Amino acid sequence: MTGTGAARDLPPGESLGAAIHILCRGAAFGGGAVLIAIMALTVVSVVLREVTGRPIPGDFELVEMGCAIAMFAFLPYCQWVGGNVAVEFVTARAPGWLRGWLDGLASAAYATIALLMTWRLTLGGLDLQRYQETTMVLGVPVWWAFVPIVPSVALLALTAAYTAWRSLSRAPR
Amino acid sequence: MSGFEAGIGLFALLLILIALRVPIGLAMLVAGMAGYIHLNGLMPLINLLKTAPYYRFSTYELSVIPLFLLMGQFATHAGLSQALFETANRFLGRFRGGIAMASVGGCAAFGSICGSSLATAATMGQVALPEMKRYGYSGALSTGALAAGGTLGILIPPSVILVIYAILTEQSIGMMFVAAVIPGLLAALGYIVAIAVFVRLRPDAGPAAPPEARIASPGSTLRSVLVLAIFVIVIGGIYTGRFTPTEGAAIGAFLTAVMAFTAGRMRLDGLRACILGVGEASAMIFLILLGAELFNAALALTQMPQQAAEMVAASGWSPWLILWAMLLMYLVFGCVMDSLSMILLTVPIFFPLISALDFGMPPDETAVWFGILALIVVEVGLITPPVGLNVFIINGIARDVPITETYKGVLPFLASDLVRVVLLVGFPAITLTLPRLLSG
Repeated sequence: MTGTGAARDLPPGESLGAAIHILCRGAAFGGGAVLIAIMALTVVSVVLREVTGRPIPGDFELVEMGCAIAMFAFLPYCQWVGGNVAVEFVTARAPGWLRGWLDGLASAAYATIALLMTWRLTLGGLDLQRYQETTMVLGVPVWWAFVPIVPSVALLALTAAYTAWRSLSRAPR
Repeated sequence: MSGFEAGIGLFALLLILIALRVPIGLAMLVAGMAGYIHLNGLMPLINLLKTAPYYRFSTYELSVIPLFLLMGQFATHAGLSQALFETANRFLGRFRGGIAMASVGGCAAFGSICGSSLATAATMGQVALPEMKRYGYSGALSTGALAAGGTLGILIPPSVILVIYAILTEQSIGMMFVAAVIPGLLAALGYIVAIAVFVRLRPDAGPAAPPEARIASPGSTLRSVLVLAIFVIVIGGIYTGRFTPTEGAAIGAFLTAVMAFTAGRMRLDGLRACILGVGEASAMIFLILLGAELFNAALALTQMPQQAAEMVAASGWSPWLILWAMLLMYLVFGCVMDSLSMILLTVPIFFPLISALDFGMPPDETAVWFGILALIVVEVGLITPPVGLNVFIINGIARDVPITETYKGVLPFLASDLVRVVLLVGFPAITLTLPRLLSG
């Protein structure tokens, strides 16, 4: 039930792999910074509310937006380190090449879905920009959130495609 | 194909994908998309994907999850496990098997600011296993106690699984947390009793700690008191509605971070490890949430859950029989599947069923009680063969103990779990008294 396609013991030899490794970690640190900012904002808002009776207006909108940005930024890293839980019990005794193929196909499916989402979210973001969707209290344009999110999902597609290729090419015959 | 058959087909597809090593969140996503296309057409799905993933990830109530995970990561890197273990040992060490009891006590205390069983088992294991080895504890007892004690990380609030159950069933998160307190403490007590029985049967397995091993430094005692204070602020604040769950989690994460930094245990490296840890865990959870969103959307289109609920309600079967059948299913699937996925997959089916049945209490109370029961039985899967994740983690730390020994050592704790489940099913008041008292 641990992750599949584990790549935890890198440094990877291939330069593409090394680049993806750096990008995924970079995205994760960016997401972490946003998450810590959300934490700080919320704490300050609660303290202000308790002390002065006036919280930061619209804090929850920033929390929602930041949370989405952080979560999308974490997805590629999780795929890279093989952090998505899978049930390995059924195939535990299957030959190595079969397990490699199954892992590779799963990652390829993930890459396809991430690619589809990159396309759709790009259009979704453009729609939100055109219709000038903004948040209720602060009036922040919603499409702003899509600016970091779309590259995150594109990186996810690249990462999943790379892990798929690696599982398939390294599967013992 | 009728809706009911389509629903069954969806589940069959999902289970096949999961058996073929497809990560669970991805399997739900694929099965959900396939079902959606079959029932509603390709274009609606394509349109759904424009903004639905964003709105799923930017739900205010879900933001509590990464913040609680952050709090758990800070707690893990704050070196708190040492302080909590020392403090528990000061009180429990004098008994036979006392160091194992102190490990369980330390796990319970750690679980009060950490919502992850694996993290609880791992951090307490690093502190407590060497101590038990030094005083001649048997491998079975020491590893069994820690693998079981680790499950207290989730049983004692805060708990990610309870958050998700509360959101799925539209219950109050604070109410779920408060309801989990007594069953969680009962679990810790049950494990301590299991240790007492174990050392009565095999006195050489775990001697009492000598006096010099039972000293807790003032610093450790102070930090244990602070952990308790954080727990009371976070859980109490959320329950009373003084702040939202997200605010409670943010405050808890902040206070835990302050403790980590002031203890000098946390440097830039530690902060990096915290962020990567939160990133991996929350991405895993959010992929499952996204998959479940699509899967459940497709499942709702089939109307299979309502039909199943109507069939069961009309069947005249005893509600208790149905409840036990569900709990048994959780136990069996828990042996190979992770708890979060099981809750997300089963609650859309099981919850309408349970709500349609009469257990002699108001619907809200039934919902809370069932959530706690489900949480407990899915967590048992962490210490049962063939895939007991807590057992694997503890065994990875105690490399000299064969894994068969650990599974033997876990048996008394499994017995204690089963006794507790029977008690909580038989006496719903154990779970519901505290929420009733507090809501006056």
